[in-house]
This record gives sequence, structure tokens and C-alpha cells, in this order.
Amino acid sequence: MKHSRAVTLTKCQDGHSLNFHAMASPCEVIIQSTDPQLAIKLGNIIASEVWRIEDKYSRYDQNSICSVINNSAGQTVNIDEETYLLLNFAEQCYQLSDGLFDITSGILRKVWRFDGSDKLPTSTQVAKYLSYVGWRKVKFDQQQITLADGMEIDFGGIGKEYAVDRAIILAKQLTNLPILINLGGDLAVTRARLNNAPWQVAIEHPDIDSTKSNIDNNSSTADMIISLTSGALATSGDARRYLLNKGKRYGHVLNAKTGWPIENAPRSITVVAPACIQAGILATMALLQGDNAEQFLSEQEIKFWSRR
Amino acid sequence: MKTEKTNIKAALTIATAALLGGNTVTHAETVSSNEDSNWEFDSAFLFYSEADRVSASEVILNAKKIFADDEILNLKLTIDALTGASANGAVAQPRVQTFTRPSGNGQYDIAPGDTPLDDTFHDTRVQLNGQWTQAVADNLTASGGVHISKEYDYLSLGVNGNVAIDFDRKNSTISLGFSHFQDTFTPEGGIPKPFASMLIGDSSAPTWDDEFAETRLGSEDDKTTTDLLLGFTQVINRRMITQFNYSYSMVDGYLTDPFKILSVVDDNGVAQDYVYESRPDSRAKQSIYAQSLYHFDTNVFDVSYRYMWDDWQITSHTIDSRFRIPLGDNFGRESYIQPHFRFYQQSAADFYQPFILNSEPLPAFASADYRIGEMTAFTIGLKYGMLVNHGHDLSFRLEYYRQTPTDAGFDEPGVLKKVDLYPTIDAVIAQVSYSF
Repeated sequence: MKHSRAVTLTKCQDGHSLNFHAMASPCEVIIQSTDPQLAIKLGNIIASEVWRIEDKYSRYDQNSICSVINNSAGQTVNIDEETYLLLNFAEQCYQLSDGLFDITSGILRKVWRFDGSDKLPTSTQVAKYLSYVGWRKVKFDQQQITLADGMEIDFGGIGKEYAVDRAIILAKQLTNLPILINLGGDLAVTRARLNNAPWQVAIEHPDIDSTKSNIDNNSSTADMIISLTSGALATSGDARRYLLNKGKRYGHVLNAKTGWPIENAPRSITVVAPACIQAGILATMALLQGDNAEQFLSEQEIKFWSRR
Repeated sequence: MKTEKTNIKAALTIATAALLGGNTVTHAETVSSNEDSNWEFDSAFLFYSEADRVSASEVILNAKKIFADDEILNLKLTIDALTGASANGAVAQPRVQTFTRPSGNGQYDIAPGDTPLDDTFHDTRVQLNGQWTQAVADNLTASGGVHISKEYDYLSLGVNGNVAIDFDRKNSTISLGFSHFQDTFTPEGGIPKPFASMLIGDSSAPTWDDEFAETRLGSEDDKTTTDLLLGFTQVINRRMITQFNYSYSMVDGYLTDPFKILSVVDDNGVAQDYVYESRPDSRAKQSIYAQSLYHFDTNVFDVSYRYMWDDWQITSHTIDSRFRIPLGDNFGRESYIQPHFRFYQQSAADFYQPFILNSEPLPAFASADYRIGEMTAFTIGLKYGMLVNHGHDLSFRLEYYRQTPTDAGFDEPGVLKKVDLYPTIDAVIAQVSYSF
């Protein structure tokens, strides 16, 4: 379904809420101000920025720089500074995750369809596409990028979080009033609400809570409310995307090195960090640790909530 | 291993700074729902001054804490200091009048034509309120609280509880409230006997204390107050909320003001005696209240009306309105002004009388307290508020209050025609509030 690009304004209890659709997600901006003109101005600035990033980096949009790169068939493509910075960030993530996080691994989707069925691809099929995966094969500098023929890159793992952070920067330039920006569950705030009150953010009920010393198995399964006074929150993982074969669950997080799903990864992890893109990457890196996801984040002394 | 892993977080911070620009990556602060959030504080300093009469200063400190599952603990401390003069109930006379202080210790004189004021009025009140509110079911919120208030000569203890039930997708709320107060009054000089004559004379005379004690019933008395409230709140649309309340209040016990007297005058209006007032020992009050809040695009208009009636035959009408006008977001600093207008009209209690005629039999109850007489009053004011220092709310309020007691149709014999039996009261209210 194609959503029209419109921003709607709603008055809420002590401010305004702006809603629009972008990156296949419902998006919401909340500003704690009674001034509707300011709210509309903010909503337009943020929605424009998010749509700009979507247009530029969506792999579904044939005109995006991402599609241009993916369709380049081995030719060198010129890039601008923003694209270079994003590629550079992806490079850092690749190295920090020891190759587990790789923006060239998206091509494996062609053999992995996590539709809840029991249809596993064959090892041959996986091996075929795995040969197109590998960040080390990508050559790029500040001006251009060259992908081997058949390879693809995908900004899906960082694009939405990046848009949240960009939107926060623009929001802070407009006003210092409290603002929350939520792009489909990845969100950040500019500051605490008035009177230092925290923003109340609901996340799906976690099984493991890093902020709790022990796990309370008797706690309710209701969504949990997190109070956020600054920074960002991002969730990686999708409990609805998996395959089930011979009683074994295959989650949708793929090991870019083997082409097979990471075993025993949590269904989703929510992480808190200063910037949304950090939170998102930390959550993804944790998922890639499989069994050790929670331990990985605990060792980093990062606040998180995981669902298994 | 640990060192290597910690490097991921640090390295990611650097990578993020390279992507987004250095100063954008600050820090994250969260409180998960199983930890406690911070306290919020509201403070206010209020000054109230009646021309030539009472002035009061009040400090309010309110602390609120919201816990994990939206439970709210609210603690409020109020300290009042009251000084100045208050009308003792006697009428003005064309001659000097002498009155005994409520304590029995000494006397004071009132100049001809002046409304008799007792200038020994001073007290400090410390009041503490605690309230706990939490959701007990999806659409049911319950709240309970305690109250303690202490003055030099007064102690008030109270409890309250109420429940609010939401329905129609939280567009409607019904609330039921209950409160009970137990007050003990220990006025200096004790509780005067109803209609006893005020003892006037030489308070240093050896017989004074015994004679003064003759006019007293005891050292303390008490009263209980039970309030019931039924409320209904309805969201009309995105812009409008209305609220309707009915309340019933039952007060039993000592309702007389031990400091108030009445002049007993002859047919020429000349005071012959001063007697302590006497009020019934119960009062049942009822009121209905309607409030409507309307959001224009930027402004908020708030208007309410209250009608109160009781078995003392007092009825009153109150209209209160506020209009909040935002002044925009100048330099990231949001400010607003809020004009306020309040009108109040009250009929007199059936036992109210400005004085007692000595030619007529003594009634069962009588009080000349202007506060239960016929009157109109209005308040006009302006509040200016702004957000300072990261959203802390600072506001200033200045109001003018005028109370005009009116004649409910009492004949004014002789000299009373020449004096002002119903003096107006003018007051100024100034308040500074700060939330942090």
C-alpha cells in the first residue's frame, strides 16, 4: 500500500502530535508546546528530512542512490558526502562486529524467506548467494563506490535510526522545547519533558531486563513503560519473522559469514543509547551474538530489554 | 575480553560522532519502569493583603513522584503566617469603644466611626497533605490521602478517598469522593459562652480572672466534617471538556467563631453591651458545580459556575473564568498571560444580623460575622508565566479582590445610620510560583 506523503496535526494533552508515514512505518513527532504553528513547522521539517533519507537510501526506490549502486553491475558510482559517511559508519560496524554485521548481506533474502513456514533453503542455494556477500570486496572512498557485479548493499539496518538522529538535530535547531521523534519504534528525544518529567515509552514485554538484577518470572506480560529523559531507543529483531523446521526455530537474523540464521538469538532486543543509530547497531550486534546476546550487552554496560 | 568489548561501545560513539557531527552524541538517560523516577517540585509564595486588615503570607511546596505503574505520590506542605486585624463583629459607633481581647488579657479601643477590628490576629499554620493515586483496574483509578493541619489554637486531621471510573473509551469519567475531617479548637482564653456579655473593665484587677472565666464554657471544642462528592467529566470533542460535580458536606460540632461578638444596641442604635455570638451546631451544605474548558487554536478558555446552598439558608453563586493566551515561543522560551475574573454573590445566613436590638427577645442563634452575611465580591487578576532554564515553569500572579457586604434589609436605628455597617474590603494577592 502506497501512503500519501502528508503530515497530520493532532492536539494532545499538553502539546501537539504530528503523524506521517515513512520507511514502511507509522511515524510520530510529539512536541510539548501549545503553539500549533510551531508544531506544524516542526512536523514539516522532520517529515521532509525522513522522506529525503527514504528517497535517497531505499532499496525499493529505483531512483535512490542505493538502487543506482546496486544496479551498477560492477561500475564505479559517484557518491556524496552523506553517503560516504554512512558507508564509513557501516564499515566501522563491520569491523566492530568482526564481520557479522555486513550491509552486503541483504542479498541472502533471495533464498531466505522468513514467512513462518518450514521451507529452508538448501546449502547450495545459500552458498551461491553467499559468494555475493562480503564487505571486504566493496571499494569506496569519499568520492565513489565500486561493487562487484551481482552484489548489493542495503541501508535497512541503519537508515531508519539515522533518520531519527538527523531529525533530532533539525528539531533542536528549531526549538529547545521537548520533542520526541518515533519512526516505527526507533525513537529519540531532544530532552526531558517540561518540569524534568520523563517521556513514557511503551515497549513489548521483555523477558530479560538489564536494569533488573534478577529476572522476575512472575511479572505480568503487559507492555513495559520506559521513562526516557534523553537519548534514544531502538529495537532490533522481529518476533514474527522466522522459519520452523523439524522443531527448530530459525530467526531472521543471518550470520553474514555463513549465510545461515544466528542460532538462539533473542527474538528482539531493545537498547538505549545516546544516539538512535548507536542503539540500533548495538541491538543488532547483540542479536548476532546468539546465545550470548544479553551477555554481550551486559559486558558493554548497556541498558537493554530482550525478548526470547 | 572485557576490555575489547568495552571498546565496541566507545568505538561506536566515535563512529556515530563522525556520522552525525561531534556535539550531537550526548548521553542517554532512562529510568525503566521498575526503577523510580525523579521527584517533581512545585513551589509558590503567596502574599495576600487586605487594606488595613489581615495580611497573610503563604509558602507552598508540592512534591510529586510518579512510580513505575503510574502510581502517584503527592506530598504538599503549606505554611501560612497571618497577621493584622479582623472585624470582631461589633458595629461602629459615634464614640470610642473598648473591647476585651479574646484571651482576656487586656483591652483595645476603637475610634469613633471605625469598624471595630481586633488587631491581635496572628497565627501560623502548618499543613501537610499526602495523597496516593493508582490505577486499580483498566478503567478504575483510586486515590487516598491524609491531611494534618496545625495552628497555635487549631488542629485538623483528615482522611479522604476517591475512585474514578472511565468509560466510553475514557471520554467519560465518573468520580466518587469522600473525606472526613476531625478538628479541635483550643482558642486562647477558652470557648466563650453563647450570648455571654463580653467582660470589660480592669484586667489587672484581682477578681478579673474569675469573672472572665464566668464567661467561658471550657478550653476546647471540636467539629467533624464529612464531604461526599459525585463528579462527572465528559470529553465533548478534541477541544472541549466539561465537568459536573455535586457535593454534600455535613459539619457537626462547634461551628461558632469564639472571637466574634455582636453589639447589643438600644432604640437609638447606641451599643449597650457586646455578646459572644452563637451558631447552630450543625450545617449541611450542598453544591453543584459545572466547568467547561475550551481549547481554541492556541488559547484556552476555562469557565466554571458553582451554586451552593445550605441549611443556614446561605446560597451563593460563583462564576470563575480564566483565559490563557500563549505569547509564542520566543527564543525557545514559551510564555503566556492569563487574565482571571471571578464573581461571587452570597445571601445571608438566617441567623445573621449586624447587631442585636435590646428591645427584642434574644434569638436562638446570632452572628454578625460579615463572612456569613449578604455580600458580593469579585476578583480580577493577571498571571504571567514563562518557561525558564530547561522548561521550569515560572509564573507571577497579581490579583485585586473586592468584597462588598450588603444590607440584607435590616433597619438601622439612630446613630447606626451615620456609621458604615457594611464596610468594603479591598485586598491584593501576589504570587510567585516555580516548578522544578
